[in-house]
Amino acid sequence: MSDASEKIVYVCCGTGCLANNSIDVYEGIKNKIEELNLNAEVLTEVKPTGCNGLCEKGPVVKIQPDDISYFKVKASDAEEIVTKTIKDGAVIDRLLYFDTNLKRKVKSHRDSEFFRRQHKIALRNIGEINPAVIEDYIERDGFKALEKVLSEMDGSGVINEVVKSGLRGRGGAGFPTGKKWKQCASYDVSPKFVVCNGDEGDPGAFMDRSIMEGDPGSVIEGMTICAYAVGSRNGFIYIRDEYSLAIKNMRKAINGAREKGFLGKNILGSGFDFDIQIVRGGGAFVCGESTALMQSIEGKVGEPRAKYIHSVEKGLWGNPTVLNNVETWANIPVIIQEGGDWYSSMGTEGSKGTKVFSLVGKVKNTGLVEVPMGTPIRELIYDIGGGIIGNKKFKAVQIGGPSGGCIPEELLNLPVDYDTLSKADSMMGSGGMIVMDERTCMVDVARYYLNFLSEESCGKCVPCREGIKRMLEILTNICEGKGKEGDIDELLEISELTSEASLCSLGKSAPNPVISTIKYFRDEYEEHIRNKRCPAGICKNLTEFYIDNDVCRGCDLCRKNCPANAIDGAVKESHFINSDACIKCGNCINNCSFNAIKVK
Amino acid sequence: MKIVIDGKQFEAIPGEFILQAAKRNGILIPTLCHHEALSGLGSCRLCIVEVIDRGRKKVVTSCLFPITSEVEVITNSPKIHKMRQTIIKLLAARAPGNEYMKSLMVKFGVESLDGFTGDKNENCILCGLCAKACEELGTGAISTINRGITKMISTPYDEPSPVCIGCSACASVCPTGAIKETMENGKKTIWGKEFNMAKCENCGAEFATTKQYEFVRKKLNIQETEKVLCPKCRKKLQSEKFKDIYQDVKPE
Repeated sequence: MSDASEKIVYVCCGTGCLANNSIDVYEGIKNKIEELNLNAEVLTEVKPTGCNGLCEKGPVVKIQPDDISYFKVKASDAEEIVTKTIKDGAVIDRLLYFDTNLKRKVKSHRDSEFFRRQHKIALRNIGEINPAVIEDYIERDGFKALEKVLSEMDGSGVINEVVKSGLRGRGGAGFPTGKKWKQCASYDVSPKFVVCNGDEGDPGAFMDRSIMEGDPGSVIEGMTICAYAVGSRNGFIYIRDEYSLAIKNMRKAINGAREKGFLGKNILGSGFDFDIQIVRGGGAFVCGESTALMQSIEGKVGEPRAKYIHSVEKGLWGNPTVLNNVETWANIPVIIQEGGDWYSSMGTEGSKGTKVFSLVGKVKNTGLVEVPMGTPIRELIYDIGGGIIGNKKFKAVQIGGPSGGCIPEELLNLPVDYDTLSKADSMMGSGGMIVMDERTCMVDVARYYLNFLSEESCGKCVPCREGIKRMLEILTNICEGKGKEGDIDELLEISELTSEASLCSLGKSAPNPVISTIKYFRDEYEEHIRNKRCPAGICKNLTEFYIDNDVCRGCDLCRKNCPANAIDGAVKESHFINSDACIKCGNCINNCSFNAIKVK
Repeated sequence: MKIVIDGKQFEAIPGEFILQAAKRNGILIPTLCHHEALSGLGSCRLCIVEVIDRGRKKVVTSCLFPITSEVEVITNSPKIHKMRQTIIKLLAARAPGNEYMKSLMVKFGVESLDGFTGDKNENCILCGLCAKACEELGTGAISTINRGITKMISTPYDEPSPVCIGCSACASVCPTGAIKETMENGKKTIWGKEFNMAKCENCGAEFATTKQYEFVRKKLNIQETEKVLCPKCRKKLQSEKFKDIYQDVKPE
């Protein structure tokens, strides 16, 4: 049922979908429309957009106004999409999303549990606009908040609105944003700086990248509003250099905003000047720490400094500086438009609004999700995430990046907010959420994160540098079967020093993976140390697999997947493992559909 | 401004660091990366103390914590002592052959390194004082390189630095004697670079490298034509001048 009305095809071109060749899908659809000269019949615009969130099922293609969403689209599907859906309005059943919770296919992504339970504020425009075109952002109320601020509000009015919203820093520390602005505004010093922290480095976290790639305008607008409120004329956006698409899109957006008069001299004729410069980070995780980031902008070695004097007083080049994270900035225009009261009506007592999480690991729907603060972790993992992949059991969820902690099954009903997570020895961090199933060894998890931090600590202060090094040594020993009595106490002793006496929050939170795994999975540590056994079957020296003859149905899948030819057995008869030949890769246990393979 | 340190009340200058105030009042807080002439680094963490501020107790580094309100400081609680022991243990494990670290183990009552091993030839504990001294003296020839557990102090690309003047400020501030310099045939070698020595035109002592002398001469605006003098002879010359100036002044 094609009519004369315009159709818009949104092709996700975020990094995740691009990696799955979404650019070919985009070109394919565009070319096919031209080839068929379809525009005479159905005016069609094809837009490359930022990340839709459901990266697991990408590339994602949405067609409006029909509200049809296609997932896992290949370039070879382009022709069919154009001829069937765009031309004739017919739905291609094969490309629809199968909702594992609803147990049926859904036509619009909005009907799926993954999207339906979300509430998008920071991610409001992502997947809906072409980030390279500033007009797209303007069309979705972009810069309206800035116009409102410049024409109707004074600095303290803006700050009051942000204070009222209860917004807290989304980069991890959770410092009240309005309070930060207010303090900075109180110093009668010039110049002042406004900085955006886009040095996202947590393994598995990509919300900031998605915002910078998919909706750079909202960051620019947020920063400009802050600059007006605190009296700054210079802004910096620090983006890690690995984020090439984010840098490219941000640069285009800054240029676009300048051309339209939203940045630069005499913004919108108000007499207020503000401009933004992009600084590319060199790839050090620690430069995501605010003071190290500022050192890096100044051209110095990226090492944190003591924060006894706050950056709002003496930050960049010793001048008052407001530094906020990408996601924090993206929330600002909406807060100004809708009001602080509106924003604070969502969330919990201490944590207002919504938070973006990157849900990854062993869940069915991996991707970016934005939910109101206070949403139970269980809802995130099971309702939105669709539960655990395969028929494996949930074991833990690691929240808050490498310095976060592991939350066990019994705490899954905890609402996500800053305070409950820190009470559980985890932290909000930037909102990374890595789900782990029963095939995860918690000692190995702690070892993995400490290994990451041993390379990414700046190495300046002793508790962090030497403490992490020694904790990593102990954990490696335990995983290799060389653990000894007293190791757990030694880990806790160093943990205490590192968490209390480190210079910056990277060091202070570095022992979290150790502390939280010992707290919730101490028996697993003891199994490793005393009985030289890894219950999850991950630590090779401490693992022996066997096949439970009562359960094995002889499907032969394990034998076929064994790279070491260590499994014998005829089809439809019970199999067995030759322990001497087994290399403990775990392929058999991961592939067995009957849970017949066990860890001795 | 009043401040209480270990139960006793003292007067502190607003903005000064806890370490300074404590030292002035005879309370010694142990340090490794602190030097009076250089700005604070806060890398060794040995000077940690507990501060009670409006009822809240927290651990801070006394070399960097400015006194801005009337706080109470505890410099050696059992908790702080325990943490200092762990710091010494970690540092001694890094440089197990270093005599100074061994003496600190005795001083802090650290009996064993709990099986931690380290390079017997390592003497550097990475406090960063050397790099700080080099930076603040104005040449910046050495700095920390790499990060995390592979961090170290070196010259750019581990090659002899073109800006190094061989002043040995780095070696003289090093608490563990980790920076080696040699003197052979009137030539000094440090950080892989060889230096000619400047001779005092008065007493003949080889008191500095020629590069260092040039650096200081320019900095202090001493004329090139002036005699090259060692600090001792320069002092002597100055006192002679003073003697002439004040010869008529008699003590009352």
